[in-house]
Amino acid sequence: MLSFDLHKRKLLTVFLLLIFIWSLLGIHWGPELFHTGGMATAGQVFAAMLQPDFSAEIVALGIESSWITLAYATAGMSLALILALLFGILGSGVLASGKRSRTFMKGTFRGILGFMRAIHELVWALFFVASFGLSPFAAVFALAIPYGGILGRIFADMLNDVPDEPIEALRASGASRLQCLLYGYLPAVKASMISYSMYRFECAVRSSAIMSFVGLGGLGYQIQLSLNDLNYHEVWSFMYFLIVLVVLIDGWSTMLRKRISI
Amino acid sequence: MSKNNIIEVNQISKHYERKIALSSLSFVVEKGEMVALIGPSGAGKTTLLNTLAAIIEPDSGEILIDGLDLRKITNQKTRARKIGIIRQQFDLVGQLAVIHNVLAGRLSEWGFVKSFISLLFPQDKQTAISALERVGLPDKTYERTSKLSGGEQQRVALARLLVQRPEIILADEPVASLDPARAEDILETLTRLAREEGQTVIASLHSVEYAKRYFTRLIALKNGEILFDLPVEKVTDELLKELYQLKELDQNALV
Repeated sequence: MLSFDLHKRKLLTVFLLLIFIWSLLGIHWGPELFHTGGMATAGQVFAAMLQPDFSAEIVALGIESSWITLAYATAGMSLALILALLFGILGSGVLASGKRSRTFMKGTFRGILGFMRAIHELVWALFFVASFGLSPFAAVFALAIPYGGILGRIFADMLNDVPDEPIEALRASGASRLQCLLYGYLPAVKASMISYSMYRFECAVRSSAIMSFVGLGGLGYQIQLSLNDLNYHEVWSFMYFLIVLVVLIDGWSTMLRKRISI
Repeated sequence: MSKNNIIEVNQISKHYERKIALSSLSFVVEKGEMVALIGPSGAGKTTLLNTLAAIIEPDSGEILIDGLDLRKITNQKTRARKIGIIRQQFDLVGQLAVIHNVLAGRLSEWGFVKSFISLLFPQDKQTAISALERVGLPDKTYERTSKLSGGEQQRVALARLLVQRPEIILADEPVASLDPARAEDILETLTRLAREEGQTVIASLHSVEYAKRYFTRLIALKNGEILFDLPVEKVTDELLKELYQLKELDQNALV
């Protein structure tokens, strides 16, 4: 049975490869395929990579924008964590007493989490900018909702993967569902929850930068302004600020992980 | 009904699909007795213990705990004061400090707020520490439980039972994953502490040797039925041979 499946999988691979080759025939190969000035622009962009503009004015602007981006990401993540813990715990069904109420809770809260993350943060940002205007709240909510949905879903899955034996032992020693959560489920998943949240925080910084493209301040906004000016040197200075932010958060998360796993 | 009968099992049966796990078992256990369940794998020892622990409901028959129908003791907290359970070492939460695993025995008496505070500032600390001293682990109070060896973890489980103070201890293969020296040590501690506390113990064991050494009464299960139920001194080698005989040989013997 297995060998038959493997055989089928190989057939599928060959089939997909053939489709790919066939699709290449549909292209009109010719000089108009590439933008004629494209190579020159690409050259300029990459040359600028080595000569970012680090004048005092740009550095000051970079620091300020980094701060805004980081602040949005942190506020958004904090709110996302609260949402994720609440909906994640409810969506895992570990607090439900009966089989039926467990199915009901899982369905309801996992559904809500699914809705929250189905819509991208950029789309949420457009919605919120349209309703709140260009206020920081728009950025914070736009981040918190989809990130809450993603984190909540992962938290719920982690809680469902906790081994049964210790939980049953706690139940047998008279612990209520909430006490089982405190003494069984949460300690078991704490380290992976923190580690995953840190990774998501890193993603939130990037998202927060991109989100400011819609007009909310921050690194993305500056990158966009400089791009419009075709000033690639400035673009790269802000890119480096973003890279430094992400690397710093990664370092912090590594430190935290080391401390937790002792 | 004698007042000393802490457990009365009346004709309980349990079926899984086509397989008979327990067929119409009846026995009585007096307060303070040390009972070992022995028998080949699949004889129904774990099913019987889980039924006594109210984890599994029997298809028919009734179980009286202290004269009360087990089915009527639905409150988890009341039940925890009557019945405590110890299994193989996967019972503890490895990520918690030892003291919290021990204090988990108190959860039936604590409310949510107190159990939450206790994770930050351990409550009833003295109870936990003296329980750990009694099981011989005085210096591991704040260590992460998963860092302890198998034998030490089983001691932590014993300390939790000391804090929980149930009247009956159900032990399901409590030493299955330990080496002989540690196994004897745990059984010795378990039976000694239960005697000190006046508790009743029912333990399932693979080893007849341990059962004879640490318990006073042996109940032998085979194919879901009681083959014999005797005080240790009356258990003969012939009976044990019959208990562990394979089915094929059994049929040959009948022919």
